[in-house]
Amino acid sequence: MLHFESTCCVYNDGTRAVDNVSLHIPSGEFCVLLGPSGAGKSTLMNMINGVVEPTSGKVTLGDLPLNKKNLSTIQRRVGMIHQQLHLVPRLSVLHNVLAGLLPEIGFWRSVIKSFPTESQRHACQLLHQVGMEEKHLLRRASALSGGQQQRVAIARAFISKPDVVLADEPVASLDPAMSRSVLQSLKTAARHHGTTVFCTLHQLDYALEFADRIVALRQGQVFFDGSPNNMDERTQSQLYDLARPKPKAASQVAA
Amino acid sequence: MNSHNEQVRHWQQWEVYRAVTPKNLMLLLLVFILLSISAHNTEIDKAFVETGKAALSAVGIGKSQVLDGAVRFGAQAFPIQISERTEVTRLEDFDRDKLPLFAYLEKGEAREYDALTDTWTSDQTEFLVEPIGYLQKVIIKMWETIEMGFWGTIISIMISLPLGILASRNYTPHRLVYSFARGWLSFHRAMPELIIALFLVLMYGFGPIAGVLALAIHTSGVLGKFFADEIENAPPGPQMALGSSGAGKLKVLRYAVYPHVYPAWIAYVQYIFERNIRTATVLGIVGAGGIGMELKGRWDLFDYDHVATILLVVFLTVVLLEFGSQKLRKSAI
Repeated sequence: MLHFESTCCVYNDGTRAVDNVSLHIPSGEFCVLLGPSGAGKSTLMNMINGVVEPTSGKVTLGDLPLNKKNLSTIQRRVGMIHQQLHLVPRLSVLHNVLAGLLPEIGFWRSVIKSFPTESQRHACQLLHQVGMEEKHLLRRASALSGGQQQRVAIARAFISKPDVVLADEPVASLDPAMSRSVLQSLKTAARHHGTTVFCTLHQLDYALEFADRIVALRQGQVFFDGSPNNMDERTQSQLYDLARPKPKAASQVAA
Repeated sequence: MNSHNEQVRHWQQWEVYRAVTPKNLMLLLLVFILLSISAHNTEIDKAFVETGKAALSAVGIGKSQVLDGAVRFGAQAFPIQISERTEVTRLEDFDRDKLPLFAYLEKGEAREYDALTDTWTSDQTEFLVEPIGYLQKVIIKMWETIEMGFWGTIISIMISLPLGILASRNYTPHRLVYSFARGWLSFHRAMPELIIALFLVLMYGFGPIAGVLALAIHTSGVLGKFFADEIENAPPGPQMALGSSGAGKLKVLRYAVYPHVYPAWIAYVQYIFERNIRTATVLGIVGAGGIGMELKGRWDLFDYDHVATILLVVFLTVVLLEFGSQKLRKSAI
């Protein structure tokens, strides 16, 4: 579904954020991207929906190579969960989710917020799947807790029936119990829709628990690629060895 | 001060701060001279003298032109004019059996001045007296003024909304369009309503059209700048999120920017509406409709009792308006 062919990305200041990465992620896989801060996780992810352009190499989604011409088609086939969520605070939960459908409806319909009933039903279904209730539907997004906002962001990413959902640190600001439950929602939704998920995390234990496959990056290069079962203690500690001093994920008490 | 000096001085020789220096004194003197010239140009000195004279005259010392003026106005302004008294012969299609509500007929003397022979003639005629006729007329005129302010605001929004979007750096289609829209808005802002109204009265004739358009043109410059600045300051995250999912710019504007900016927009529009009504009361003076026209006419005829009625109605309206809009603002937040 998602191909990277010897992709490189060099920023203007000379940082090689992504260095010769080749990956093939098959359809329907829950793939977690691991790595210390600054390893190039976000850059790799942002290349898929055109926020960052690859310096060299190729990125392909399905049969579409990523270029200027295909960008808008690809953007419609990709759902994105941003690290800071970027929900619209003063918009209702329902319309935050439906905003993911904006490319599909006519301009004047969008002005008066007149989304088709089936779309609204679909939004309700997704919100239900991620554990929201009817009473939340017409509340402003700003009135929700962090975990609930995260769930709304997940529903928004799935509303356009995307082939791939990109999740950039989806549980960065949540407590362990909430993180687990949000990741579970994400995984359930992906299973239900047969969607490929490409998700960055920095908590190793969640990756081991939820991923079908783990890709670990270090200094822009693929350091480990395989199933969670193949990731031994040594690899885990090596992965974070070069990072700035911070608690090693392996030594964290499992919550 | 002496950071370049290698040698470190004893603390008793450190240069301390001096508030009064010859340089400061010279500067102060210069400022005083310039202010004096400017004050003389604007007759500030005369204002002090005349006000002082008026205060003295009020306690019986000397005469004052200021106090005389105020007394002349006050003497004629009260009691204020509430009723309307019209000669029956001047009324077209007057029907003796169908008088307006509360109106009655009254016999009286009509004096007429003949300018050619410089003589006054008087006739016995009948008058139609409407007890609150003039107040009614003024209130109707005031309502017209409020409507002028309202439509001025509506047209102003219609001009400034598209221009505001074109004049916001992140939603303008091109840098040139941006500069052009900003320029246009400041051009609108730079023209005072009274001056626009003068020209529009020439073009559209006397009446509220000139006033409404004058208000719309001036305030659209103000409102457009507000709109544009608010759009530019909206948080970029949600816009990026919707934009990168493939939504067009206008839709992003509708879903990620508008919900964020509209409380501020409402507050601006409300302020502009209030301001427009206040300004509309004055616009009539150059013939652009509303209560100002009546005020100007009565003022020129020295009908100070009528003027007093108008001023009272204007004052009450503005106070009510402030009060109402404060309530509205509280309920909106």
